[in-house]
Amino acid sequence: MNLHRTYPIAGGILVAIFLLVIPQTLPILLIHLSTEILYFALFAVSFNLVFGYGGLLPFGHAALFGIGAYTAGLLFNHLPQLSILPILLIAALSGLVAGFLIGLFCVRLSGPYFSLASLAFQMFFFAVALKWRSVTHGSDGMGITRPGLYLPLLGSLPMGEVQNLYYITLVLVALGIFTCYFFLKTPLGNSVVCMRENEIRASFLGYDIFLTKITVLAVSGMLAGLAGGLFALFQGFVSTTCIDVNMSLIVLLMVVIGGTDYFLGPVIGAAFYLIFQDWLSGMTRHWWLFMGIFFVFVVLYLEGGIIELFKFGKIRLWISKSGNKT
Amino acid sequence: MEASVELYLAQAMHGLVYGMLIFMVASGLSLVFGMMGVLNISHAAFYMLGAYLAYSITLFLGSFWISLLISPLIVGGLGILIERYLLRKVYRRGHTAELLLTFGLFFILAELVLIIWGSAPLRVAVPKLFDGEISLMGTTYPNYRLFILGFSCLVLFGMALILMRTRLGIIVRAAVSDVVMEEALGVNVSSVFMWVIGGGAALAAIAGVIAAPFVSTYPGMGFEILMDCFVVIVVGGFGSLLGVFIGSLMIGELQSFGILWVPQLAMVFQFLLMVVILIIRPTGLFGEKA
Repeated sequence: MNLHRTYPIAGGILVAIFLLVIPQTLPILLIHLSTEILYFALFAVSFNLVFGYGGLLPFGHAALFGIGAYTAGLLFNHLPQLSILPILLIAALSGLVAGFLIGLFCVRLSGPYFSLASLAFQMFFFAVALKWRSVTHGSDGMGITRPGLYLPLLGSLPMGEVQNLYYITLVLVALGIFTCYFFLKTPLGNSVVCMRENEIRASFLGYDIFLTKITVLAVSGMLAGLAGGLFALFQGFVSTTCIDVNMSLIVLLMVVIGGTDYFLGPVIGAAFYLIFQDWLSGMTRHWWLFMGIFFVFVVLYLEGGIIELFKFGKIRLWISKSGNKT
Repeated sequence: MEASVELYLAQAMHGLVYGMLIFMVASGLSLVFGMMGVLNISHAAFYMLGAYLAYSITLFLGSFWISLLISPLIVGGLGILIERYLLRKVYRRGHTAELLLTFGLFFILAELVLIIWGSAPLRVAVPKLFDGEISLMGTTYPNYRLFILGFSCLVLFGMALILMRTRLGIIVRAAVSDVVMEEALGVNVSSVFMWVIGGGAALAAIAGVIAAPFVSTYPGMGFEILMDCFVVIVVGGFGSLLGVFIGSLMIGELQSFGILWVPQLAMVFQFLLMVVILIIRPTGLFGEKA
């Protein structure tokens, strides 16, 4: 049998089994952590779609995450007759629309101009969330009552239980990550990489740069919005922290630490970041300092992020390089 | 309001003073960006560091003026070290790596400040020479703010003089317009980079020192000035000193009057301005390249 196929399939099955047994074996606190890793992984993948694949560095990616979270939070509270899945779908769509609109204004800029423009939009939405108190409750945030989830075969699943929250997050995050993966396999996805490598050549080949970039931002917005919706569902609470600059910076740290060259780099980065943070913050109040030092270390000496360390033998094929492989 | 004219005048002055402070920080940022294409995020940390050093030096040596001398030297030295031993390592890897590096350094410096000085705001006493108020067109105004205004104008003219009238200024301006060509002409560009980053850091520290008695030092001050600088640079245009100057004054006044008229939306205004400028004129008001 062809080794090129065996390794990815075996690896995938192992990871799937591992993810499925987490709620059955680990203590509650670690299930919490695992759920956080899941939706942050989706958020980081959506970030890397723009940064690693599109070659644009957004400083304000939390705008999309936060819009998803606020959409989901407001719907949970004001339309209790809606079930969880439609609400998360609408959250994802709101991220898509926001990504499209932000893209409309930002993608004509490049380099740091794009970064700052995206930051400006994020600060704008942050200010709205902070000041429009009658709807968002400002920095106090708003609590959410989670509706139960009714599934045809399993009956009604109460959402108060962490295990159920974990499973629904796992399913939706997997769906989101696969969507992103297959999006990148399409000709449109290839043209994104082509555009990153050489914008002028891509446009001479007939690709519409403007439209391609907007599409990337919209797809990324959809995934970030879904991640935000899952965040709202899991935390049961939405406040301005999910749309502030810190959130944008955290995802940037995750992606760079994990590695931008590989599709699964951001996933590893998110897992590493959250575990590292959990471990450090138990020991010292100033864990940010160590995170910063580690980040600088990665930028200086570990160009491809920590996923480079996992790169032995055939596994390299499995984690799928984002570069121009033809 | 009865004293509305006086109130507006005081508010306009306040905006002017804050605008000049932003200018001193943003000009270094813009100069470095114009030359090297590096958006040096750690620049805002230099400002914060300057202010905190001013607090400690004033406390231990008892004189604000000594801190105005020493603190920029320390911070400028730090800037030189950062360029020499960290930033220089990533030049060959392009602007994104440089941006990420300075971003990481900003966090390390901000966290170090938090560890050393704590999170409570610290007050630096206004120097005796400029304590008190004078009456100005029917209203009283603190002397120290007038000092900030005068001093920053002095710095502005000094900078313009160096950039426009000296050999060093020619070298720096040539580097802004074409680095490769300048290197081919025999200028040691990497040493110019080092000194410009160091000089920019010292300038940011000067701004921090004179801002310390005016705004009192607190851990969020670096981040706040960073946001203001970003807006200023986008509004004024990258690499244009005139643009930075006009942009700084605009943001200073906008914040000052925004708080007076619609305090609810004061924060939104500057980002709205940034968005509008980006849509109408993506290069900024005075910028040339985008």
